[in-house]
Amino acid sequence: MSLAIARQPARQAPRPGGLARAQARTGLLLVLPAMVVFCAVILFPFLDSLRRAFYEDTLMTTEPVFIGFGNFVQLWEDGTILGTWIVTVVFVVLATAATFALGLAWAIVLNERFRGRTLVRALSLLPWVLPSTVVAFLWAWLLNGQYGLLNAVLLTFGVLDEPVAWLATSSGAMAGVVAAKTWLSIPLFSAFLLAGLQSLPREQVEAARIDGAGNWHVFRHVAWPHLRPTIAVLLVLGALGNLQQFDVIYAMTGGGPVRATTVMSVEVQRQAFQAWNLGLAAAVGVVWFLTIVGPAFLRLRGVMKEA
Amino acid sequence: MLDFASRSARWVFAATFLVLAAFLGFPVFWMVSTAFKPTAEIFVRFPTLLPAAPTLDNFRGVLGQGDLPLWLTNSLLTAGGAALLTTVLATLAAHSFARFRYRGRKPLMALMISAQMFPFAVLLISLYPLLQAAGLLDTRLGLTIAYIVFALPTGTYMLFSYFVRLPEELMEAARIDGASELGILLRVVLPVSVPGLVTVGLYSFMWAWNDLLYAMTLVTSPELRTVGPGLLMSQLGEMRQDWGAAMAASLVASLPVVIAFALVQRWFVQGLTAGAVKG
Repeated sequence: MSLAIARQPARQAPRPGGLARAQARTGLLLVLPAMVVFCAVILFPFLDSLRRAFYEDTLMTTEPVFIGFGNFVQLWEDGTILGTWIVTVVFVVLATAATFALGLAWAIVLNERFRGRTLVRALSLLPWVLPSTVVAFLWAWLLNGQYGLLNAVLLTFGVLDEPVAWLATSSGAMAGVVAAKTWLSIPLFSAFLLAGLQSLPREQVEAARIDGAGNWHVFRHVAWPHLRPTIAVLLVLGALGNLQQFDVIYAMTGGGPVRATTVMSVEVQRQAFQAWNLGLAAAVGVVWFLTIVGPAFLRLRGVMKEA
Repeated sequence: MLDFASRSARWVFAATFLVLAAFLGFPVFWMVSTAFKPTAEIFVRFPTLLPAAPTLDNFRGVLGQGDLPLWLTNSLLTAGGAALLTTVLATLAAHSFARFRYRGRKPLMALMISAQMFPFAVLLISLYPLLQAAGLLDTRLGLTIAYIVFALPTGTYMLFSYFVRLPEELMEAARIDGASELGILLRVVLPVSVPGLVTVGLYSFMWAWNDLLYAMTLVTSPELRTVGPGLLMSQLGEMRQDWGAAMAASLVASLPVVIAFALVQRWFVQGLTAGAVKG
């Protein structure tokens, strides 16, 4: 997932005419190393992975055999791909929406002056810095069926009579991974939204106040319009990131119980490196790519406007 | 931005602050608290907030007999290597995109940025046989190279945003003084771009340090294991259901990147959100 967003106009460098060719050569020379590496570890592997979707490539086959849409037919007949797709969309929508709502609230809080604000701002980035396995452990421990804190709290307040093994139920596991991923990405979202709020001209707020605007009005009609571009980019970025999510889900639930939290990334990894059916995994990858291409295109278009 | 003249505004603000601060902070607090608890205090239905009899046993356990130091070393080498490679490559490419005009510049940039939609797990399907063919499967070097995937496109774009805002006069002055293009990059652009470089380096480092997917797929030898899969497999294996040890190991595993982050936090957030908003 990417984080950088920019809206500044690119500078058109004034250059003496005769130097244009030398400039172009230096420019290409500088970009060459990155392009070579990019093609070797990103572009080629990507295209090659998509190509493999049309081959039968399992532990049983000595050489990959071209089978056209065979893998896709098998995916459809297995009947799992639709479920995986739905699980992925549910995860992405819930995690992105929750992260956005809470991240926005947190950004508004951090934008106000209070004692210790600098420290709170710094500390609140912590969830985002922790290794994903650690995040998974934290939440698995909080949600533990026997000794987890959530159970202890709910039992104390009489909400539950018996401890619940949250991660062993379908909806509990989904809620768990969504909570963990939300927790992990709130700092990032609020950092971006806070940067947006900080650039809101004070005069605009003051002018609205003079007109008698309340807090809600200031938020809805002054801050929100100002944040809009940031929000648009952030939602695309967040959705792309959640669509990629593997680590926390895998470490927390392994995609289970049964397939309740098996998102695309978990399915690809499982098909490719546990079942060793590279062709079928690649076919899942193609479906995944078709899902991702919409939001990614939006992002690309936004970015290229500035180049 | 908000007005706290009314009592209800103060209450809503305080409540929002407390709820979100608790949501964000409590899991970390719980990790630390559990890590210092003796086993008898961990496996109870109604645990106490703080350890009644704090102990270092969990840490002694994971640092003494466990492979944690080994995993940390491996993570440090691969993530550090990836951060270095990514930053160097991204710097050259971003400087080229920001300062030079040539045919194919925009398509190359678009290609690089569009790579963000290539799913990491899908790339693995091809990276695995590729590294195998190169004899780099199950090596630190192979994992380091694979980690370039995570941050090269984003890093290039972040540095592009940074470089493009540097005043052109800076470079023109050096050029008139007869500096070479490389000299301009090294002596003019880089010294004023430290926050951007740190941001990209740390971004790349964190992705690699936090990674589980690539590490567990591309490396199988126990002695080459990194922190992510190391923790996970020990939890599935011998440390199973030993939550005290799991939390202590988690705490230790988090420290390096938390410390690195604390040192450069200010620059990092600036670099990351730079240009996210107009103005």
